[in-house]
Amino acid sequence: MRRSLQSALLLGLSSLVAAVFKDEVGQIDFHHALVGLPQSETTFFHRPKKDEKASLLYTLSDVGVLGAVNPNSGALVWRQQIFPGISHGGGHLRAPEGENWVIAAYGQQVQSWAALSGRNLWQTEFNGQVKDLEVMELTESARKDVLVLFEEDGVTVLRRLHGVLGTVVWEFREVSKDIPLQVSTSLSNVYVINLHGSPSSYSLKVTSLEPATGGRVDHMIVGTKGDVQGPQDVMFVGANSAAPILAWASNDLAKLNVHILGTKSKQEFALPADTVSVNIHAPHLTQSQPHFLVHTRTSTGNKGEVFHTDLKSGQITKAYELPLLPGLGAFSTSSDGANVYFTRVTEDEVLVVSSDSHSVLARDPLKSDARVEAVHAVSEVIKKAGGKEFAIRSATVTKSQEWVLIRNGQIDWTRSEGLSGAVAAAWAEIPEAENLAKVLAEEAHTNPWDAYVHRLTRHINDLQYLPDYLANIPNRIIESVTGGAVVVSKTTGLHRDSFGFNKIIILATHRGRFYALDTGNHGEIVWSAEVFPQAPGSALDVKGILVDDSEGTVTVRGANGEYAVIKVADGHVVESQYGDHLAAVSATAVIESEGSKWLLPLGKDRKPTGDVLKDRTLDQTIVIREEDDSIKGVKFVNEDGQIVKNEIWQLQLLPGQKIASIAKLPAHDPIASIGRVLGDRSVNYKYLNPNIVVVAAIDSAASTLSVHLLDTVTGQLLASQVHDGVDGDKDISCTISENWYSCAFFGQYILNDGTDREIKGYQIVVSDLYESPSPNDRGPLGDAETFSPLDPVDTPTGVPLPWVVSQTWILSEPLNNLSVTQTRQGISSRQLLAYLPESHAILGITRHGIDPRRPVGRDPSAAEIEAEGLAKYSPAIFIDGRNLLTHERDIVGVRGIVTTPAVVESTTLLVAYGIDIFGTQNSPSGMFDILDKGFNKITLLATVLALTWGVVLLAPMVRRKQINRKWEAFL
Amino acid sequence: MASNQAPAEPYWVAQLNSPPAAKSKVAGIVDPPGFSGAPTAPKKGKDVKTQPRKPPSADERDTLKLKKAWEVALAPVKGLPMTAIMMYMSGNSLQIFSIMMVFMAFKNPIVGLMSTNQAFERFQTDSNSGQILQTKLVYVAMQFLALAVGIWKINSMGLLPTTRSDWMMWENLREPVEHAILAL
Repeated sequence: MRRSLQSALLLGLSSLVAAVFKDEVGQIDFHHALVGLPQSETTFFHRPKKDEKASLLYTLSDVGVLGAVNPNSGALVWRQQIFPGISHGGGHLRAPEGENWVIAAYGQQVQSWAALSGRNLWQTEFNGQVKDLEVMELTESARKDVLVLFEEDGVTVLRRLHGVLGTVVWEFREVSKDIPLQVSTSLSNVYVINLHGSPSSYSLKVTSLEPATGGRVDHMIVGTKGDVQGPQDVMFVGANSAAPILAWASNDLAKLNVHILGTKSKQEFALPADTVSVNIHAPHLTQSQPHFLVHTRTSTGNKGEVFHTDLKSGQITKAYELPLLPGLGAFSTSSDGANVYFTRVTEDEVLVVSSDSHSVLARDPLKSDARVEAVHAVSEVIKKAGGKEFAIRSATVTKSQEWVLIRNGQIDWTRSEGLSGAVAAAWAEIPEAENLAKVLAEEAHTNPWDAYVHRLTRHINDLQYLPDYLANIPNRIIESVTGGAVVVSKTTGLHRDSFGFNKIIILATHRGRFYALDTGNHGEIVWSAEVFPQAPGSALDVKGILVDDSEGTVTVRGANGEYAVIKVADGHVVESQYGDHLAAVSATAVIESEGSKWLLPLGKDRKPTGDVLKDRTLDQTIVIREEDDSIKGVKFVNEDGQIVKNEIWQLQLLPGQKIASIAKLPAHDPIASIGRVLGDRSVNYKYLNPNIVVVAAIDSAASTLSVHLLDTVTGQLLASQVHDGVDGDKDISCTISENWYSCAFFGQYILNDGTDREIKGYQIVVSDLYESPSPNDRGPLGDAETFSPLDPVDTPTGVPLPWVVSQTWILSEPLNNLSVTQTRQGISSRQLLAYLPESHAILGITRHGIDPRRPVGRDPSAAEIEAEGLAKYSPAIFIDGRNLLTHERDIVGVRGIVTTPAVVESTTLLVAYGIDIFGTQNSPSGMFDILDKGFNKITLLATVLALTWGVVLLAPMVRRKQINRKWEAFL
Repeated sequence: MASNQAPAEPYWVAQLNSPPAAKSKVAGIVDPPGFSGAPTAPKKGKDVKTQPRKPPSADERDTLKLKKAWEVALAPVKGLPMTAIMMYMSGNSLQIFSIMMVFMAFKNPIVGLMSTNQAFERFQTDSNSGQILQTKLVYVAMQFLALAVGIWKINSMGLLPTTRSDWMMWENLREPVEHAILAL
C-alpha cells in the first residue's frame, strides 16, 4: 500500500514538475496562430449573421486551413483544417448571401461550417475529386443549395447537395472524355463547363441543366478547337449573376474571349501589349448589375477595363478603363444591392469606382507605412448613411506574404501569414558584434607580449562602456529585486541573455521565403527574405539547413539544387543559386572538417554534386538512402578526377517493405553518465555508440513494422524488432537519443501469451540499449578505451551487441514527430516530445514514465524507487493536460519539432513548425538552476535587513542588561 | 619559655581551629565575594571516610586497580548493544539524527583509542604492568568493535564506496574509432 502510494506520488510529482502554469503562458512561450496565405478566389468578406452588419473575413488558404478573421482587429475567430496535413493550394470556398454557413470543398470532401462559430454542420465524401463548388442562390424553395462538380475516373458528375442537410438532391452524370472544369448558375439554368477535345487543343463545352431536376437542357461547343490548352487557361467563370460569363485568353495573351453563358456567341477583346496576366472580377450576386472588370498586368504596370453586359441583346461593351499604373496593383469587387463597386489598391492609394462610370467615388491616399505591394485583395465598400462618403477596407495580400487590412489609407492590422507552411527550421545563436571567445582564441595564438598588449588595449577600450554600466547598475538591481515586475530599462532588439533563452530560429517555408524569429522577444519576426520564389504549384523542399554560429550564417540546400547562404543577423543573402532539375539534390550530409561544418549535397545518383569533393577527401563512411529504399554505406573515392562511389555495406529491405521513419541521434547529445545505477547500487552500462541509426520499415500488405537498429560503420543489424498488425497508412514516427530509441504507431494484434487478448490502439515502444544483460559488466569490450566495429572478434559470441530492454504503452491518441529534449550537459532527465494531431497540442512525456525497466507485475522495491525512480508498469499512458507543453493553445499542422539547449542545464528550447509556429522553454527536471518567479527577493532582503537592524538595536540593550544583572547580584 | 604556662589561646585561634558547624544555607542569601564554602565539604567527607578504614595493602591495591582497569577496558562495549539498536532504528536515510549518531559512533572510539594510555595511567604501577597491558589490548579491541558498528552503519547508509556505481565517474566513455556520416 505504502509503496504504491509512493510510486503514485512520484508519478504525480514528476507530472507536476513538467506542468506549464497559466502565468507562464505567453511569458516562456509564443505562438503564431496562422491560417496560411489567402488565395484570391477563396477569400471574401461575409456576414455570418443575416441581420447584423458586422462581417468577418473568410479565407481558405494555400495550406488548407479555413479561417475566419475579425476584420477590425485581425484576430482569428475560428479556423479549421479541412485537409489532413498541409496542402499546397487548391480547394473551394463559397458563402451564400444571407445564410449563416460557409461551404468548403477539398479533395473528395464537401464540408459545411457554421459561419460564426466554425462548427461543422455536415460533411460528405464522394468518389472522385471536387473540381468546382458553387452556391445556388436561387432555388425552387427558400433555402440555398450547393452544386459540386466532381471528376470520377473521367466521368463528369454534378451533384446538387441540400444546403442544410448535405444530402444529394439530384445527380447529373455524363460519361465522356471531357474534363470537367467549372460549374455556374444563372437565374434560369445550371451550366457545366467541360474541356472538350484532346490535350493541348481543347475547346469549351457548355452543358446547360434544369436547376430543379438536373436534366440536360442543351449543350454547345464554344470557341474553336485549340482555343484552350489546359484547365488553367480558362480564367473566369462567373456564377450567380444575371449574366454569368466565361472568359479565356488566347495563347499569346493578345485577345480575351468572353462568352455569356446561355448565348451562342463569343466576343473578342484586345488586350494591351506585353500583358503578363489577366484577372477578371465580377459580382457574385444575382441582383447586381452584369458588369465585370478585366485586370491586366503588364511587365511594368497594371490597368483595369470595365465591361457592361446587355442582358437583352447579349452584347458586351467596354464601358471605360482605368489608367495604366505602375506596380502589381489589386482589384476587388464588392456589391451593394444592384450597385457594383470596384476597389483598386495601387502603390500609393486605394480608390473606389462604381461600375457605371469611371468617376472615383472615394480615394484614400496611403500613408508611407501602408504602401504595400498588393498581390490580390478583397474589399468591403460601405456607403455611409446619408452622405456620399464611402468606407473602404481592403484585406490585401502583399508581395512580402503578409495579409494586411488597409482602412483610411492606414494599416489596421498585419498578419504574417507567410510564416505558415514552414518546411525546415534551424536554431542559431544571436550574432554578437564582438565575440569574446573568438578574441580570446586570437590572443592565445599570438606571443605573450602581443597578447598582453592586445588585452590591455582591449580593456582600455572597454572602459568607454564603464559609465553606462555603472549608470545601469541601480536599474539592474531594481529589476533583479522586483523579479522583473518593474521594468526600468528594456533592452530592445536582438540581444543574448545570460540564461541562453534568447536565440534565433530560422524557418524556411514551402513558398521559398525565409524567416528569423527571436525567441527572447515572444517569437517576433526579426527579418524575412524571399530567397527562392516558387512558381505556383511548386514547393521548396529543403534537404539540408546548417547554421554556422561562428560565421553567423545559415546555409540551405533545396531539392532542386537551390543553394543559399544567408546572414543570421539581418537576412542578407550572401550567396544564392537557383536550382534546376539537373542539379537536383536528394540528400545532404553535415561534414565536420577542421572545426567547421559544411553541407555536402548528394545528387540523384547519390554522388556529391558538382565538384565539392575535388580538393577535399572524405575518408568516412557516408550512409545514403537509395531510391529503392535500400540503405547503403559508401565511401567516395577520387579516382583520376572522377568521384567513385564504393559500396561498403547495404541494408536491403524485404519486398513490399517501405521505409516509414528514420531516426538519427541528435547532433548535440551529451552523455552525462555512462551507466545506470540500479537499486542495489550496481551499474548497467549503457550501450553508447554514436554510429547508430534506427530504420523503421513498414510492410503495408502484411501489416508488420520492422524496427532495425543499424551500425552505420559496418551496416550490422544491432537489434531488430517486428511489430504485428501495424497500420501503414497511419503516421509512424521514431526517435533516438543517448542509449534508447522509441517508435510510435497504430497497431492491432492478438497477444501470443495464450490469453487471446487483443491489443488495439496507438502504441509507443521504448527500447533501452545496455552493454550486457548483467549489471557491473561492460560486455565483451570490457574496459577498452576505444572500440571499432571493424575490429576482428575472437569468439563468435563476442560481438559487442547491445542488450535491448523494451516496453510498449498504449495511448489514446496518435503521436507524431517524436523528438527528444536536449540540455547542455545531458544531466537533466530527457523528455520525449510529440505532436498530438488530434488534440492540436504538444505532449512532453518524461523518460521516467516510459522507462522500459519499469517492473511488470510487481511493485518496485524501495531501492528501485530511490535509485531509478521506477514505477510499476501499467500498459496505458494517460495523457494528462498538465503534460501538454502548449497549455490550452491550439497548434495546427505541426510538421517538425526542433530542440536546442539553453545555457542553463535545466532548460531546453523547442520550436514546433508547420502551419503554426509554437516555441517554448521546457525544463524536464524542473528549473533547478534558476530562481523561479515566485521567489520573493524583497522578503528575503527585508528579513536580512530586519535581522541586522534587530541585532544592532538589541546588542547594547542586552549588554546593559547583563551588566545590570551582575551588579544586582551584589545588592 | 616552653615550661611557661601556655598563654590562653586567643579567641580567634580557637574559632579558626574549630569552626562552627556549617549552617544549612539559607535560600536567597548570597555568599560574599571571594567566599567559597564548597572546598570544606569534600575535605570533611574524606576525613570521615578515610579515618575509620585501615589503608589497604599494596597487593590489595593492585587487585583493586586491575579490577578497575578491566572495567575501563570493557566500558566501550557495554553501551554498544544500545547504540546498535538505536542506529538500526534510526534508518539509513541522511537525517540529522542518523548523521549525529554516525558522528558519535566514530568520534568516541577514535578519541578512546588515542587516549588509551591516559585511561590506564591511574591503574599503572610497577608490579601490574603486564596485566594492565592485557586490559589495554582488550580495551583497544573493544574500541575497534565500536568502530566496526559505526562502519556497519555508514555502509548500510550507502556511504562506503564499495560498489561499482561509486567508481563509475572514473570510468571512461569508450571512444569510437570510426565515424560514419549520415546523408539520409
